[in-house]
Amino acid sequence: MEFDQHLPIYMQIMHVIKNRIVSGQLRGGDKLPSVRDLAKEFKVNPNTIQRCYQELERENLVFTQRGLGTFVTEDVETIKNLKTGMAQELTQNYLEQMQRLGFTPQEIIKLISTRVNRRDDHD
Amino acid sequence: MLKFMKYEIRGTYRFILGVLVLAFILITGIYYYVTKGNSAGGNIFIGLSVLLLFGIALVTFLYIVGSFRKELYEDTGYLTFTLPLTGNQIVASKLIVALLWFFLLGLMLALYNLLMLRFFVRIDFSIIAWLQTLRHFLTNRQAVALILGAVIFGISLLLLIYFSITLSRVTFRNKKIGNFWFIIFLVLSALLSYGQMKVAAFVPYYLDLTTLNIGTLASMDILHMTIEQGAITITSSQYINLAVLLYKIIVIIALFLGTGFLIERKIDL
Amino acid sequence: MTKIVEIKNLTKKYFTKKALDNINLDIEAGKIVGILGPNGSGKTTLIKILTGLLRQTSGEVLIDKHKIGVYTKSIVSYLPDRNFLYKWMKIEDAFQLFKDFYPDFDTEKFAELLAFMKLEMKMKIDTLSKGMMEKLNLSLVLSRNAKLYILDEPIAGVDPVARDQILDAIINNYHANSSMLITTHLVRDMENILEEVVFLKEGKIVLTGDTETLRAEKGKQIDAIYKEVFATEEGYHA
Repeated sequence: MEFDQHLPIYMQIMHVIKNRIVSGQLRGGDKLPSVRDLAKEFKVNPNTIQRCYQELERENLVFTQRGLGTFVTEDVETIKNLKTGMAQELTQNYLEQMQRLGFTPQEIIKLISTRVNRRDDHD
Repeated sequence: MLKFMKYEIRGTYRFILGVLVLAFILITGIYYYVTKGNSAGGNIFIGLSVLLLFGIALVTFLYIVGSFRKELYEDTGYLTFTLPLTGNQIVASKLIVALLWFFLLGLMLALYNLLMLRFFVRIDFSIIAWLQTLRHFLTNRQAVALILGAVIFGISLLLLIYFSITLSRVTFRNKKIGNFWFIIFLVLSALLSYGQMKVAAFVPYYLDLTTLNIGTLASMDILHMTIEQGAITITSSQYINLAVLLYKIIVIIALFLGTGFLIERKIDL
Repeated sequence: MTKIVEIKNLTKKYFTKKALDNINLDIEAGKIVGILGPNGSGKTTLIKILTGLLRQTSGEVLIDKHKIGVYTKSIVSYLPDRNFLYKWMKIEDAFQLFKDFYPDFDTEKFAELLAFMKLEMKMKIDTLSKGMMEKLNLSLVLSRNAKLYILDEPIAGVDPVARDQILDAIINNYHANSSMLITTHLVRDMENILEEVVFLKEGKIVLTGDTETLRAEKGKQIDAIYKEVFATEEGYHA
């Protein structure tokens, strides 16, 4: 994986894991890969993964059971909040960039609805 | 240290075996042509073989000594000198294995010659009889002194070479002047011989191996020498200068510790 | 945190030229530290001193609280940037040698690594390609349960597949009780596995720190920082 220059790597990997949780690739109660395995997957220092798991734990998205490993939270509400949070973040980014291009909110809504409708036609 | 010697032997035994086989073939040929009588081809073969044998002896010597040199000039030094061994242990291992090879080669060639004598010359040659003849000329003490002398000579020669190689490597970081050790070796040899002469002149006390008396050569019983006229060629082993002996042992220890020290403290591969 | 390596005021002079100039560096257990710098920066000199191949002019170097000597050699596992095995050997001989000399050598781990690297015991050392040689040497070095691993340019000159295998082997071998010191000029390929980096320039440490922190502070990859720090030496092709 190519990492973005401007964000710490542990944050970028956190983001990947969050994506996996939200998309259902990782479900509530699922065991996360071991630190070593994930380190190998991303070719990063194991302590980077360690830090990433710690931060995820602070955000209550995962929990660690001594000797067993790290697991995705079983709390449906937390996962739902994560999903909403990520959606809002994406939307926010999109809006900011569109506004920077000079689009008004109305134009943006129109663009989105045409796009969504055209997709419906094709399907 | 024994472990290191094991790998030293495993690294060199193929070459030694090859040398032995080649030498055996040449020696067999020489015996064959010598007993067959004069023929032009035979003489040429004998001449060439003798030359070749000398060549082999030289190459073998350089090969065995070179196993030490290689550690200092080739990449394997990065393994050897990071093993958990002291510099002294490395030098001692190299030295013992080299002596072992020289001893074995000498022994094998001597035995093979005896075998050939028996086979081609058809003399009923008994080793025991030969040893008995030898004893006639040489007392036990003299024999021991001769063997010890040879061992001391071998050790000090090898150590002097090792020391020269190491000193040259430490002094000149440039690997290209790798053969400078020979000049160091010559100079050191000369200095050490000069030292030995001075010591002998300064402390002229000798041990007489027959009577175990200690005295100057002048005070020794000259009559004693004339009785053993038959052994006139070996009388040099009859009298041992004690100071020189001590000097030789000190030189050996100094060269050994010096090489170990240079390897441990001064080397930069 | 236990310090595996402690270096105080380390200087190495060649006649008047200083190859290392007053280096101070501690390496804690569990860290993978990268020593970065171009040729002639003092990287090799530093490694040679740590492995006992060279003595310092002044200063103190301790590994596991011991001065460099037979003990430190027994707990340091060193991968030189060259083929250090005897040419007459087969892989099994090299394996035997490591087992004989290092009590911390783990036979099972070696068997695993060998299989992972697709190497076989019967192979002869002098027939191996550059990449295979690198993989064999690394397998030997990583199969030891050493306190300090010193890897000199572990991925130089190998193809991308071998590079990934080597990186995996390094990560796999990571241990909280031991440290790793890695020198490299292929910063881009290695920087993510380095927890700390030390930039060496003309025998001096010009920049050091936690990799993530440095990236955050400078807003750049370590690779970019490297090019910036060594721009004058590396010239335009950097």
